[in-house]
Amino acid sequence: MVTDQIAVLVKQATIELSATSDLAAVEAWRVKYLGRRGELTQILRSIGQLPDDERQPAGQAANQAREKLEAARGSREQDLLRTGSRESIDVTLPGYPPRIGSVHPVTRVMRDIRRVLAPLGFRSVGGPEVETDRYNFELLNIPSGHPARDMWDTFHVRDEARPGELLLRTHTSPVQARVMEAMRPPVRVIVPGKVYRYEDRDASHESEFHQVEGLAIDEHITMADLRGTLTYLVRALFGPERTLRIRASYFPFTEPSAEAEMSCHMCDGSGCRTCGGNGWIEILGAGMVHPRVLAGVHYDPDQYQGFAFGIGVERIAMLKYGIPDIRMFHTNDLRMLRQFR
Amino acid sequence: MRVPVEWLRSLVPTRAPTGEIAERLTDAGFEVETIHRTGDDWGEIVVAEVIAINAHPNADRLNLPTVRFGDNKLQVVCGAWNFKVGDKVALAKAGAVLWDPYATEPTRKKVKPTKVRGVLSVGMLCSPRELGLSVSHEGIMTLAPDALSGTPLAELLGDEVIEFELKANRPDALSVLGIAREVAALFNAPLLTPVDSGRLPRVDLGLHVDIEIDDAELCPRYSAAFVTDVRVIESPSWMRHRLELAGMRPINSIVDATNYVMFELGQPMHAFDWSKIHGGRITVRCAQPGEHLVTLDGRDRQLSSDSLVIADADRPVALAGVMGGADSEVTELSTTVLLESATFNQYSVRRTAHSQALRSEASRRFEKGLPPELTTVALHRCVELIEEIGAGRGEVLSGDAYPAPTPLEPVRLNFSRIERLMGLSYERSDVYRSLNAIDFQVAEDGDDLVVTPPYWRRDVADAADVIEEVARLTGYNRIPDRMPSGRVTDTVPGELDARDDEIVDVMVGLGFNECVTYALTSKARMGRLLPPGLPDRDTEAPLGWPQGWVQVKAEAMNDVGRQVADALLPLHGEPVELKNWLSADENVLRLTSLGTMLETLRANRRHVDRDLLLFEYGPSFRHREGSVPQESRLLTFVTGETLTATRWDGVTSVSMPFLRGVLDEVLSREGLLPDIGETRTPTVRHVALIHPTFTDGEAAAIIAQGSAVAAYGRINRDVAAAFDFEEAVWAGILDPQPVRRAAPRISFAPWSQFPPARRDVAIIVNIEVATEDLMTTMRRTGKKLLRDVRLFDEYRGPPVAHEKRSLAFALTYGADDRTLTDADVDQLHERVVGALRKRFGAELRS
Repeated sequence: MVTDQIAVLVKQATIELSATSDLAAVEAWRVKYLGRRGELTQILRSIGQLPDDERQPAGQAANQAREKLEAARGSREQDLLRTGSRESIDVTLPGYPPRIGSVHPVTRVMRDIRRVLAPLGFRSVGGPEVETDRYNFELLNIPSGHPARDMWDTFHVRDEARPGELLLRTHTSPVQARVMEAMRPPVRVIVPGKVYRYEDRDASHESEFHQVEGLAIDEHITMADLRGTLTYLVRALFGPERTLRIRASYFPFTEPSAEAEMSCHMCDGSGCRTCGGNGWIEILGAGMVHPRVLAGVHYDPDQYQGFAFGIGVERIAMLKYGIPDIRMFHTNDLRMLRQFR
Repeated sequence: MRVPVEWLRSLVPTRAPTGEIAERLTDAGFEVETIHRTGDDWGEIVVAEVIAINAHPNADRLNLPTVRFGDNKLQVVCGAWNFKVGDKVALAKAGAVLWDPYATEPTRKKVKPTKVRGVLSVGMLCSPRELGLSVSHEGIMTLAPDALSGTPLAELLGDEVIEFELKANRPDALSVLGIAREVAALFNAPLLTPVDSGRLPRVDLGLHVDIEIDDAELCPRYSAAFVTDVRVIESPSWMRHRLELAGMRPINSIVDATNYVMFELGQPMHAFDWSKIHGGRITVRCAQPGEHLVTLDGRDRQLSSDSLVIADADRPVALAGVMGGADSEVTELSTTVLLESATFNQYSVRRTAHSQALRSEASRRFEKGLPPELTTVALHRCVELIEEIGAGRGEVLSGDAYPAPTPLEPVRLNFSRIERLMGLSYERSDVYRSLNAIDFQVAEDGDDLVVTPPYWRRDVADAADVIEEVARLTGYNRIPDRMPSGRVTDTVPGELDARDDEIVDVMVGLGFNECVTYALTSKARMGRLLPPGLPDRDTEAPLGWPQGWVQVKAEAMNDVGRQVADALLPLHGEPVELKNWLSADENVLRLTSLGTMLETLRANRRHVDRDLLLFEYGPSFRHREGSVPQESRLLTFVTGETLTATRWDGVTSVSMPFLRGVLDEVLSREGLLPDIGETRTPTVRHVALIHPTFTDGEAAAIIAQGSAVAAYGRINRDVAAAFDFEEAVWAGILDPQPVRRAAPRISFAPWSQFPPARRDVAIIVNIEVATEDLMTTMRRTGKKLLRDVRLFDEYRGPPVAHEKRSLAFALTYGADDRTLTDADVDQLHERVVGALRKRFGAELRS
């Protein structure tokens, strides 16, 4: 059979090739097997005369053999070049730079948070950035004229038809109300997104920045669950050595409300510039969803309870990566963006 | 709010260091911003007595006081004249460090022996400003006459002030007493309440005031008391000192007493000169049309009809809860004063304060909702203080309108509720102790607790409020870490689509850098996306001018351009406008992020010369009449001209096929198959785009299922110039929503087990012949046996004739069930090429 003949030939040629010691020997080998009158070439030529049923497999085998021997010759030549004359290949040449872009640090942090919380059953949802007063304030237990409105400097939208109703959302919390209105408990969601504040910019204040809101509602979600979830999140983001402490605070839409601080990841709590010397860093606000918020979306506050929290995305990124100025996130300087490959 | 620690400690004697008090208060919800320590930088500053004042020999404006401190005497040069022999003053000796009173930025300077106009001065007498006590630099600071000369000033005046961040829910905590109550509860210390209702004898001064409240909703209570034999003098130094530390400028005995009560108890008060109140009556009502009032700050204010005022028989005399009127102000001439202590509706005060742009210490407290029970307590305390400082003689209560007292409702909660909410069990005794410590009364009713908060805690209305009190007083850090258990949701409305993340990932994989640009921009900035010279482009409103745009449409766009303008680049649309904005450059929401992206590209161009590949996948906004604005999330990418080729040094240029490759890849992830090599009938068409933002002949749109889903090409030269580019810039915009499919994108397809055969064909055709048509024809002719058609070369130029071009394709043939013979393939290929010849007049290139 021609195919057997080819197999033998390949074996023999391979052995001979490994014995070559210089490029001239390789060339002689090439002429012997692959040249115009080479042994493999001869076989290839003879295939045309074969009976029909043998022709195809033989042709295939011969072609494969040819490719295999050609490849072997190339790599043998490379080997000889490399060992024979070390100077001819400069292994210190820089690699060709692959063209790969970068994910914005804000996206990166939002994804980190989503990735940490997704296994706990938190699903990511979105909502409109132009909101109504009802969702941004009223349903969150912040009635019009309430002094708590001062906590959020608000951009209002000009709208002749409904003056005073539309605004740029000042937090991602309105999506809490939207989600709860649209579904029954259990609820576990996080809301990453942009928020707006009518506030002059400086190194630590932005008029446009991002938050991730978290919300968990069921019959038995407790403040201990909130604390555990936050500890888990903070450790996932800043390392397993972090400890969390929570302190009483006030938000109109949670009761009890809490401010969470983590032990400083730069100095491990001993005090440094990042934590202002006291070893703790304020990281987010949280609390148990206010019964009036639950009642506002027609959840029975005697049956359902749960927690909510809100994290400043840029703040996390600044802490985590040491970014000194919050305005840099919207500057999109490639010298910064390229660091987030 | 600033709380002087000495004042605080006078109400709650505890040995706890100030730092610890601040920490515990912060834990309990009263966030301490800073602790100001006055006096800890007063080294080398002592109390001294002036024993002589001599004239300066060389300067009329200076004098030479001699001061004694302890056993030492010193002559210094001084520029102030507000002191006399015997006064106690603050002497800064050489080495002391003072604030520079003339510097614009806070600056410290050291006191050194200096010759002033020929006379040596080895120290100086200090003004309050130099000591950092207040802004006053009108003269030197004179101290209490009983101050012991020689003692360090820090011992006399040094104090600590805790500054709290104000929370909106606790009006009671806007007072020294309120904070003292918390400290007493947290440290289990006694509370020395300054209010003792039995202390003053009830006197009758024989005066009468009529009090009338128009609307009890707006003013639940108005209480008043007369003070006669008024002496409007300087109040004693301890009172002035506490007020200054709290951030209030001392004015005179009467005003200081009312302010003192406000800081101590949280109840704002006002004092009227009774001789200026017409008709012996006080009416609390809304302002009438046309009324106005000159307030204490000297401004004549037009009053709107929703402003609540205090009026006498004829006219408004105060803006209720916000500021008093100048006309009835207490002066040195006042002999009888009416003290006001009232409760005003929090919303009404807030509205008035906002509309008059006048937030005062008083309005800040009223806005948070004060309890009516507090008015008489405060009056009593104020009269007591006035008598104590010798500023007059008062009645405890002369008039009191309280039309509809509302008793506090007790809160009922099941004891188990506390554990259920907190996830932690509490001892009953701990709960009672915590609540009692802040004056909550607790009664039991079976398993229920019936909790009655004190009158100053009207913020407590729900079970959750009571639980918070228990939790914060027993310490949040008792709460254990636990993971939420129980049921998990499957799907949620409004859930983010994983394909949105994928778009970002694909773009990053293609070399693009993700940006997040400001959503706020201006019409003028977006207007730069249209080239100058368009009809009406240079009129005042470059955008949203319907007629001008119609003209633009007709002249500068094709049908596809109009589709693109409507779906992707709605520069003619009406943007969402803001009512308030920070800068005129940021007063509308963007209709497209192309503008901000080109700005970003330009900023980066200054320091990057190649591979400028940027994208944003973010919302654009469009106003909709009578509805909420439309928000669509679009992919916008921009590039510079130059790309690094595969080798280190090589460069290539961005081109239409480069942009198309990017878009095809993104669309394929959406489940569309724009790579026509893989499908018989393309679902996506690329068509020439004429739109003024892009360059004619170097722009295209992608039409899928009848709508424009993407536009891409080279930015119009003049537009690029408007963004300050000299070279070519390219951009693409994609809306994935219309083509997004519900079906899973990836479904496995088996491949043929038989070897493929490749044939190439190079043809010359007229330039107008679309490549896509050639490929479709080849595919239709080759049917299933033609597995793939790939373009591998395009060439124009000699020897190819001017109006023609050469195109070379690689065709792959194969069958699912057999190996095609050479003859099969040749025959098929001949048919395919023949079809090109026949339909497009293609010539084979040799």
